[in-house]
Amino acid sequence: MKEKLIFKEEAIGLVKDGDLLTAGGVSFHRVPMELIREIIRQGKKDLRLVDREPAIGFDLLIGAGVASSVRFAMLGFELFGFALNFRKAAEAGNIEILEDTCGAVINGLRAAAMGIPFIPVGGIFGSDLLKIGIQQGNYKVTKDPFTGKDIVAVKAIEPDVALIHAQRADIYGNVQIWGGRFEDVWKAKAAKKVIVSVEEIVDHEAIRLEPYNTTLPYPYVEAVVHLPKGAYPASCYGVYDADYEHVREYIQAVKDNKFQEYLDNYVYGKAR
Amino acid sequence: MAEAELIPELMIKAMAKEIKNGDKVLHGLASPLPILAMLLAKFTHAPNSVFLSVAEGLDPDLGKVKLTISSADPRLLVGAIAFSELVDAFDLCQRKELDVVFLGGAQIDKYGNTNLSAIGEYHRPKVRLPGGAATAHITSIMPKIVIWATRQSKRVFVEKVDFKTGVGYLDGGDSREKAGAWPTILKVVTNLAVYGFDEKTRMMKVESIHLGITADMIRENTGFDIEIPPDVPTTEMPNEEELHTITKLDPDNIRYTEFR
Repeated sequence: MKEKLIFKEEAIGLVKDGDLLTAGGVSFHRVPMELIREIIRQGKKDLRLVDREPAIGFDLLIGAGVASSVRFAMLGFELFGFALNFRKAAEAGNIEILEDTCGAVINGLRAAAMGIPFIPVGGIFGSDLLKIGIQQGNYKVTKDPFTGKDIVAVKAIEPDVALIHAQRADIYGNVQIWGGRFEDVWKAKAAKKVIVSVEEIVDHEAIRLEPYNTTLPYPYVEAVVHLPKGAYPASCYGVYDADYEHVREYIQAVKDNKFQEYLDNYVYGKAR
Repeated sequence: MAEAELIPELMIKAMAKEIKNGDKVLHGLASPLPILAMLLAKFTHAPNSVFLSVAEGLDPDLGKVKLTISSADPRLLVGAIAFSELVDAFDLCQRKELDVVFLGGAQIDKYGNTNLSAIGEYHRPKVRLPGGAATAHITSIMPKIVIWATRQSKRVFVEKVDFKTGVGYLDGGDSREKAGAWPTILKVVTNLAVYGFDEKTRMMKVESIHLGITADMIRENTGFDIEIPPDVPTTEMPNEEELHTITKLDPDNIRYTEFR
């Protein structure tokens, strides 16, 4: 094992323009928000985003203009309403939209984690998303080689980078995630590079005392960054709740055409 | 009209009734009514139903969970038996072992197809919607789908959806099965009524009308010809105990958000 604890500037330096990037968590929960803000600060370009049900994390990246495409099953702010930057960019044709469905996104990641080129997925027949997925080159209808029946094959999704926020890790990148894991483990195993930010850096011995909590051991992890409150304004299970007032402030800023002010305040300015 | 104030609770009860004891049930994001229906079912007629959630808590502690504005909030997994990844629910679904799912629809047509993707032309939409999440995948293979809509109108209940995100009975008859989707039972619960589908034509029809709602109000808010049987019953009202349970699970009245 070697030490992998580095600063966020260095860690996000590993992300290249044009990378296929995925992020952990879901909606407003355990999203690697500070790593995402650092991507914007470093002025990355043409990132291709992929995630099952992103919300504020991807909307922020899209609003900041660092993404050229986004693949998602749902990209909204739940009961708050639309992901407004995404909606604006989509309706103006400023971003390539690769709409998908949860089971296909997760299974595409699973295929990459398993090192196989595609995975058969049950269902999708009858939905107009089938032809959209075929057009996009992400699905093909094929025959089950054993029964001869039609089945949808989803191409493996191998992100260049996965950004993940977790509760704790040691300096070697042994990561412990508590609460909902979502498909963070699949994302990490599917990606070429995994950058993890954590609330707390703990002694290596503390990891060995709770091996059943080690969700992501060191061979999968490229870099660890110590970022307390690194999911803010998303929640981090067992550590802090989501700040829904901040989410409302964000939405209001976009509505009032004051998104640049939001970026100045919360991304470029008082770097959290 | 005092009854109108109980529409959310009435919908929750109607949705809960679609869950049988022992069913494995899944809810997704932005789903306060499904969550409350699933919890209410466990409190009442379906204590052995299995609660599967996008928050990933399997069977959380009914006395301790609290609804918040996000359906994946960790406050929804307090006291859970396990952290069960969402993909486990899709695996169950593909194995024909998931029994009921609750899904939304920005547009719903007379055959129960739903659109959650785009209003207008798909590639140049008038409104780019957030997307259907699991809808396209699992509506194709679920044995039972319950769609809920809190603001039924001619814009929601349309003759034909602009884009089929969710697979209903497609063009009616046996077109769903012919397209390669598995057979399903489809229900729609709105702020006006509960709807089922004709067994042969697969056209939507009214199953029960909520208290205070008239047949004319349903027709005025439906963009296609809808069958309203003359002897159609009134949707069952929640009793005092059920109302108390709902209020206790949702002290911040998150359930009203979708009605505003």
